[in-house]
Amino acid sequence: MTATEDDATTADVSTPGRPVSLGPAGWLRWGWRQLTSMRTALILLFLLAIASVPGSVLPQQGIDPAAVSQYYQSHPALAPFLNRLSLFNVFAAPWFAAIYLLLFASLAGCVLPRTVRLVGSARQQPPRAPANLARLPASASYVTATAPAQALQQARALLTARRFRISEGDGWVSAEKGYLREVGNLLFHVALLALLFSVGLGGIFGYKANRLLVVGQGFANTPTALDVFRPGRLVGPGNLAPFEINLHGFSAKYVSSGPELDQPLSYDASLTYADRPGTPVRRYQLQVNHPLVVDGVSVYLIGHGYAPIFKVTDGTGTVRWDGPVPFIPVDQTTLTSEGVIKVPDAKPGQLGFAGVFLPSAIDAGGRLASAFPAALNPRVSLVGFTGNLGMNSSQAQSVYQLDTTGLRQLPMQAEPLAAGQSMKLPDGLGTVTYLGYQQWVSLAITYDPGQLPALLSGIAALAGLILSFLIRRRRVFVRATAAADGSTEVWLGGLARSDAAGGFETEFSELAELLRAELPAAAERPFVPERGEVVTPAAAAPAEHDGASAQARASADGQQAAVTDTAGGSGHLGTGVSPVSTVSPRASTDGE
Amino acid sequence: MPRLIDPRQSRQTRQQRLHRRPRRTVHGAAVVVAAVMATAGCAGGDIGANTPASSGQSFVGHSYESTYYQAGSRPSAPPVSGTTVTGQHLSLSQYRGDTIVVNFWGSWCAPCRAEAPALGQLARQLAARGVRFVGIDIRDEPDSAVAFMQQFNVGYPSISDPSDEIALDFHSTVPPADIPTTLVIDRSGGIADRIFGASTYRQLLSVINQVTGSAP
Repeated sequence: MTATEDDATTADVSTPGRPVSLGPAGWLRWGWRQLTSMRTALILLFLLAIASVPGSVLPQQGIDPAAVSQYYQSHPALAPFLNRLSLFNVFAAPWFAAIYLLLFASLAGCVLPRTVRLVGSARQQPPRAPANLARLPASASYVTATAPAQALQQARALLTARRFRISEGDGWVSAEKGYLREVGNLLFHVALLALLFSVGLGGIFGYKANRLLVVGQGFANTPTALDVFRPGRLVGPGNLAPFEINLHGFSAKYVSSGPELDQPLSYDASLTYADRPGTPVRRYQLQVNHPLVVDGVSVYLIGHGYAPIFKVTDGTGTVRWDGPVPFIPVDQTTLTSEGVIKVPDAKPGQLGFAGVFLPSAIDAGGRLASAFPAALNPRVSLVGFTGNLGMNSSQAQSVYQLDTTGLRQLPMQAEPLAAGQSMKLPDGLGTVTYLGYQQWVSLAITYDPGQLPALLSGIAALAGLILSFLIRRRRVFVRATAAADGSTEVWLGGLARSDAAGGFETEFSELAELLRAELPAAAERPFVPERGEVVTPAAAAPAEHDGASAQARASADGQQAAVTDTAGGSGHLGTGVSPVSTVSPRASTDGE
Repeated sequence: MPRLIDPRQSRQTRQQRLHRRPRRTVHGAAVVVAAVMATAGCAGGDIGANTPASSGQSFVGHSYESTYYQAGSRPSAPPVSGTTVTGQHLSLSQYRGDTIVVNFWGSWCAPCRAEAPALGQLARQLAARGVRFVGIDIRDEPDSAVAFMQQFNVGYPSISDPSDEIALDFHSTVPPADIPTTLVIDRSGGIADRIFGASTYRQLLSVINQVTGSAP
């Protein structure tokens, strides 16, 4: 890699006029930079949104296979073409995967390096104070009698109390605040990664399944019991939580008058369940959007319908079927439902029936229709078939569909059956009786271990974003220098690093005010500059001074400060009757 | 109205089950788009919109797929017992010391119907060799199950398992993941082979021979 870089550099140098070949590494780096750019991420996000449009416009294999086959029938020419483009299975299509994998790579590639940078930024110490604080956007200065070290010490205390991060040096204090902004920024980025990760977690260890359950029946959460089972990549049949559910009753209430007629009011399924075989059985009232949660697995009520009960006796007089057959609603407002009965072992010939169940049958101009979703006047009309049901091949078939290719329709009366009524089949094929109906519910079983982490990281991302928007990072610098007259000149400078609207000016002047109040102003001090010479601290620090200053430090805390007055050049010290006679050690310190 | 089954569709559904790890990551992408929104995880408000018609109750046979477990690494078969389709009590422990072929089936399941004659025949032929056959009748209607057994001359008993309790008994061993599933249990009670999908006479016989030959 480095070799290639070097080559590129040499090429650059030797042929300055010509465009330079990037080399494989260069191209890789260029590609990576493009991929991880914000623009690419946005484009990919937009593409993803567009790519999912056909998923909602065209019927999807994974969601509604029946609708897909209907589409095949109504668009025989177009459908195979669309199928080749995976448009009936958009969310599993390679091109769709390409988009979201690129998006994932783009986001991860953008967020990871930024995270590292943010960690660095959050740990950063305030920089050295600039030499000229007056040039900063906010600045203040004043003169005090306090010694520079003392003044800085006080400024430091004040800033520390206000939770500034401090760094200091000779004659200056730098303080910075608002690191929480970086923390927020960091939180946002880490949470974004966590969100991606949790989503992946759900895809790997989670699963989704559907199960239709007739009242009076039960099932266990095991693959053979599930009508549709979509496991995550690492989910095996043994990983399913082994709960058992029995359905004891179901009731649906509908609006029976007014403009909202037929609209559902409530659905209520009475369940009992056990966490695993042998554990106590508990009751649960399952309602829409109030899932039953067992072992972290959520069971949602997502559908319901009728299962008319049939008894089919074949030509030999033997009962070949006696039980409920789930019918599937074809009209959601009236719950007119369709279903099939297959009796493959009937003698002398296999029997098949296609039926329509009308919960509230009415005569709509010579044609039967259902007027209401509740079973007020349930009727079933059946069409019988005999022949080959096609069930003795290894080709699986849906229990809701009748393949009529090998079947002959029986000439039968079209009269719909009421509960208890029978219909004799021609040619001595047998009898079919409609005994009544049962209800069924459709359950969606979902396990998504990434759901809670995704929710939490979503919240964290939002919190981080808010922090980083609300908090501004600002710096305050203090410099204190001893003036010639023995007073101390204190300079304050400040700047807000982010351009958050206002607020900093006020904070800064408040700080300046507080600091000024703490330090006694030089003017209030009764000092008279008797001797006019200006003595710079450096000049006032001769070598012979050392002994005296050491003595002064040794003596009790400046009480005897006047002793040092004998030392040359610092004559003004003696005049101080002020409480701040401790200036003398300061003077000597300055001198050193 | 009888809906015609589209061969392409059934093949697709089948493939979906075949690769039994379809792509949930897709959902992932959707969540990325909807970010926080999608995490709420609430079911659609309209209950009616989601019926199993859509899901098509795709009981599917894989094409034949056999997994052999070496002696020593065989999960032990759970103690299974229940009521047979014809009303008798049956426990697998009755057959202790024999090789047991456990077949999960349903009379509504076409691949089960396809393999049933071979199973019936093998059961009769291998009885003298100490190979017992037991069926587990999944999600079935009793009359229909009896008719199935008569039709295919299945002489061995089947435990009725309308609510999948027996299937769940195998949860921590070798769970049946499809219908039909056939398990071959060796003489010491270890699950030696698992077959998904319909098996032919030859396929099943060779598996049984392998197990009886290997059993300790």
